[in-house]
Amino acid sequence: MIEAVPLEWILTVAAALFCIGLFGALSRRNAVGILMGIELMLNAINLNLVAFWRYLSPLSSTGPVFSLLIITIAAAEAAVGLAMVIAVYRAWQTVNLDTVDALKG
Amino acid sequence: MFFLHYAWLIPILPLLSFILISLTPIRHSKQMSGWLAIGLMGVATIFALGLMGGVTQGLRLGEGSAVTSAHTPEQHAPETSENAEGKHGKEAFVFPEANVVQNFVWAPTGNTSFTMGVYIDPIAAIVLVMVTITSTCIHLFSMGYMAANSRQSRFFSFISLFTAAMLAMVLADNLLLFFIAWEIMGLCSYLLIGFLYERPQAYRAGIKAFITTRIGDVLMMLGMVYLYTQAGSLAFGMKDGQIFNEAFLKQLALGKNALGLTHATTIALLIFGGTVGKSAQFPLHVWLPDAMEGPTPVSALIHAATMVSAGVFLVGRTYPIFTADDGTALLVVSAIGAFTALFAASIAVAQFDIKRILAYSTLSQLGFMVAALGIGGWVAGMFHLLTHAFFKALLFLGSGSVIHAMEATKSIEKIHHDDEYAAQQTAQDIRNMGNLKAYMPWTFWVYTAGYLALAGIFPFAGFWSKDEILADAQNGHLAIYIVLTIAAFLTAFYMTRQWRAVFFGEYRGKNPLIYVNPEHVASDHHAAKDHGHVAHTDQHSSHSDEPHESPWTIVAPLVVLAFFAVVGGFFNLPFAVPGGHWLSHLLGQESAEFNFMVAGISLLIALVGIGAGWSYAEVFKTAQDKDPFEVSQPGLFCLLNNKYYIDEFYGLTVGRISDGLALAWSWIDSKVFDKLLNGTGFFTLFISRINFIIDDTLLNDGPDGIGNNTLTTGQAMRQTQTGKVQDYLALIFAGVVILALIYLYRM
Repeated sequence: MIEAVPLEWILTVAAALFCIGLFGALSRRNAVGILMGIELMLNAINLNLVAFWRYLSPLSSTGPVFSLLIITIAAAEAAVGLAMVIAVYRAWQTVNLDTVDALKG
Repeated sequence: MFFLHYAWLIPILPLLSFILISLTPIRHSKQMSGWLAIGLMGVATIFALGLMGGVTQGLRLGEGSAVTSAHTPEQHAPETSENAEGKHGKEAFVFPEANVVQNFVWAPTGNTSFTMGVYIDPIAAIVLVMVTITSTCIHLFSMGYMAANSRQSRFFSFISLFTAAMLAMVLADNLLLFFIAWEIMGLCSYLLIGFLYERPQAYRAGIKAFITTRIGDVLMMLGMVYLYTQAGSLAFGMKDGQIFNEAFLKQLALGKNALGLTHATTIALLIFGGTVGKSAQFPLHVWLPDAMEGPTPVSALIHAATMVSAGVFLVGRTYPIFTADDGTALLVVSAIGAFTALFAASIAVAQFDIKRILAYSTLSQLGFMVAALGIGGWVAGMFHLLTHAFFKALLFLGSGSVIHAMEATKSIEKIHHDDEYAAQQTAQDIRNMGNLKAYMPWTFWVYTAGYLALAGIFPFAGFWSKDEILADAQNGHLAIYIVLTIAAFLTAFYMTRQWRAVFFGEYRGKNPLIYVNPEHVASDHHAAKDHGHVAHTDQHSSHSDEPHESPWTIVAPLVVLAFFAVVGGFFNLPFAVPGGHWLSHLLGQESAEFNFMVAGISLLIALVGIGAGWSYAEVFKTAQDKDPFEVSQPGLFCLLNNKYYIDEFYGLTVGRISDGLALAWSWIDSKVFDKLLNGTGFFTLFISRINFIIDDTLLNDGPDGIGNNTLTTGQAMRQTQTGKVQDYLALIFAGVVILALIYLYRM
């Protein structure tokens, strides 16, 4: 008999991915890098979701739908985020978000 | 009747004159203020005469406004006690019913209230006539006499105020109003004596007068308060609740106070204290001779005719209280009066200043009046008050005319440039006068009329009034009679001495005996503009070295007063003829019958006095001659000339005590009170410092701190707003973790 991969391993992977994504979002200077980290975090969330769906209630359709929504939102958010990066570049001539601190106060 | 209804206007008119002159621009014009004052006084005189007319007819104005012509005053005569005999009988002294009583409530005090109003009975009416006539004459006299003084308008305002106060006093319906007017008179006396205030002698004399009379006034006030506590009212009158009520007086005579005297005696003696001060009886007589520093019209008005008789009038007014007790009060009164009469007459013998002689004569005559009241001769005393006012004012004004003329002569002018005060004193010295009969005939004749009246020669006024006093005295008070007779002798003596030295002989003023002024202020010529006599700045060339007659404004009042001096006696002839005893009938009291022996003795004494005085004054040939009395009895003369050294005695005793008290108070004030005050100040500072600390900490540092902390907190909170997206992100993540923990472990 082939045993399934235990759920905890997948969750760990998802957690690890999330942490890597968080780390990336918090520590990249480049704006696009931050966006990538955000993407990673979203994908880790997706993995988490799918794992729970497959292992706990595989017959319901809530899981995939939710996943689909998240992918859609991620895509939309990536588009908007990149548009914002272009707008920032136009105004500040840089995408290094360390220097964009006009709201400092 | 009009004059009765409006009798209260009599003091208001001179008061109006005072107000108008002092408060309006009238004061800038000497002529206008003078004639205004004279005019209003003249109107007041007419009112007084009209009132007198009403009173003689017996008209009465009661509480309502109905005027009833009452029964003749003679009906009262049999009811009164046997005052004529000089024995203050056991029956009380009763005033006739008043002619005019009008008052209004002034100061409510609990159940009773103080009123202000008029209470006029015959004696008041007749004194009003005397005061108004005399005052009008003196107002007219001042027009000429004070013409050179730059403050003449102020002078008129003062004498008008004084007259208003005197008239108000005579009319007053209660003792309180009486006292108020009394004090105003004292104030005016001070103002007028010190009128020429550039001279230290003048203002010192004013202060002395005021303070000495004040001592008497304190006693009088004590008497008034005492009377008020007994009676509950100070109103004159015989109704229930007023002070002359018979039942009340009997009660006064019975109750005794802590000193062992009856109430009546104590009250009477205390009120008499006021008389001793104001009428200058011994021992408070010291102010009157010094009061001669004032201008002569002042001496005539205040210190001869009116203010000093106010004290006698006070005793006359409150006489029922004096007669209510067993005779102690009246004994004291008569003793002091008789002593003063003799004492002052003896001093006058050795004086050389014409005004001083008259001043001591006034003292002596006041002693006569007070003694007359003391022995029960109420009518005699009042009668002498009236006649004395006229002839003494006449004498003073006559002396004023003489001084006026003397100061205009060259010899005195020479002194005037150097020392004005010495010039005045030299002009007043009788040794420097002489033969003025030839130079000033009008003054001579009127002065002679006054002199004969004072000496008591038939048929002048003084004879009748003084004789009545002596007749009353002889009737049971032999000691008083003897003392008064000796005083009468001395009166005739010193007045003759003065009369002869001034008006007869040779004029000695060309080589005068110059007064040495111990307080000479050199080169005071700039102040010489203000003096009470004719201006000399524009008359240098026209001065002769001989005196000449004074102008009509000075002589006319003298003539008026001389008339009264001559005929005044006929108002109370002591015979049972038609018109005789007129005054006593009017006043509703009995008076003495004519006693030939007494009259004869007094006339004889007067003539002997005149003879002695005449022969004494013969000696004065030059101004430097010595008085024969001084030559024969130098020690006695010195004693009399220096007024028995009483002033010096007072200075050593009372003066020292006052100085000591003043020093003690000053010490207390600086060491005790100042320390207390400073301590209070320090304490206040201390409290305020604590206050400041609390205030500063709570109200300043608190809000400051709040503000600062807000700032600091804000600064701190600002650190989180870095503006960087990633930092915000990190914060969001931290918040999520916290929420998750809360969710996991609390839910």
